[in-house]
Amino acid sequence: MKEFYRNISDALVMLDGLEKDLNIRHLSPNELKVFYTIIARSEFNKYGSNISDIVENSGMSRSTVYKTLKKLSSQGIIQLNQSEEDGRESLVVLNS
Amino acid sequence: MKNFLTLSVTSFVFSTVLWVLWHFIDTHVLFLAGKGGFFYLPHAARVLCVIYFGFKAIPALYLGELVGPYVIDPDMYSFSTLLPSLISVMSVPFALTMLNSLGFTLGETRSSPLNRRNYKHIFLITFISAGFNALVVNLYMSRNNLSFPNAITDIEQVYRFFVGDLLGTVFVFIFLAMILIPVLRQAKN
Repeated sequence: MKEFYRNISDALVMLDGLEKDLNIRHLSPNELKVFYTIIARSEFNKYGSNISDIVENSGMSRSTVYKTLKKLSSQGIIQLNQSEEDGRESLVVLNS
Repeated sequence: MKNFLTLSVTSFVFSTVLWVLWHFIDTHVLFLAGKGGFFYLPHAARVLCVIYFGFKAIPALYLGELVGPYVIDPDMYSFSTLLPSLISVMSVPFALTMLNSLGFTLGETRSSPLNRRNYKHIFLITFISAGFNALVVNLYMSRNNLSFPNAITDIEQVYRFFVGDLLGTVFVFIFLAMILIPVLRQAKN
């Protein structure tokens, strides 16, 4: 059984290296959740996802999503743009 | 014996779950439906299980390969997949044996020519095994006049197999890295 866990541990070390090189290791679980939701929603709207969409699809509270979006924006991972159709609405766009 | 049973169950479940997931995406997810050949997720199970559990994982992986087309969706293929599935499972041992014979033995330290803790080395094994799988399975199908529904066994299918195994494995690795590592880190804290 020890050997089994050692093998799994080696696989996790390999995945950890991949995560490190993908540069997503500094994100907290909440930030990751919001980040994945933005990626998933970007499939449906190339001009950016609105915040209500992200709140609805992430399953997190509006205030947590707002705080997390601010953090991601300050880290340069995302950009918050004002919607051309509705000036009160912000659209979240991934920075390339 | 206990280790063999554990790794066999793990390999079988992992392979079957990836096949079911792949089949679901290929048949139900609108914009990806019918394009499953370009992201064959179960190749990741072959690569991970053979590399980390050794050749002992082969019987369980083979069984996992057969469950999909024989139990879950028996109408999927119009020909027997007994031999093609075996070739596919054996593609990873083939890649490892080939690299081993060239002096690139698989180890777990930085000094090992092939380090199983380094994802770049794992991608090299994935690349060779995907090539072997694409060539040999399609050679077998071509010589026996077999083809998938709505597809012709030709060079395009070899390309699809190759790209599909590579992309499928990359998707699973990235998914596991994104999901498992943060969860484990959170559990640790």
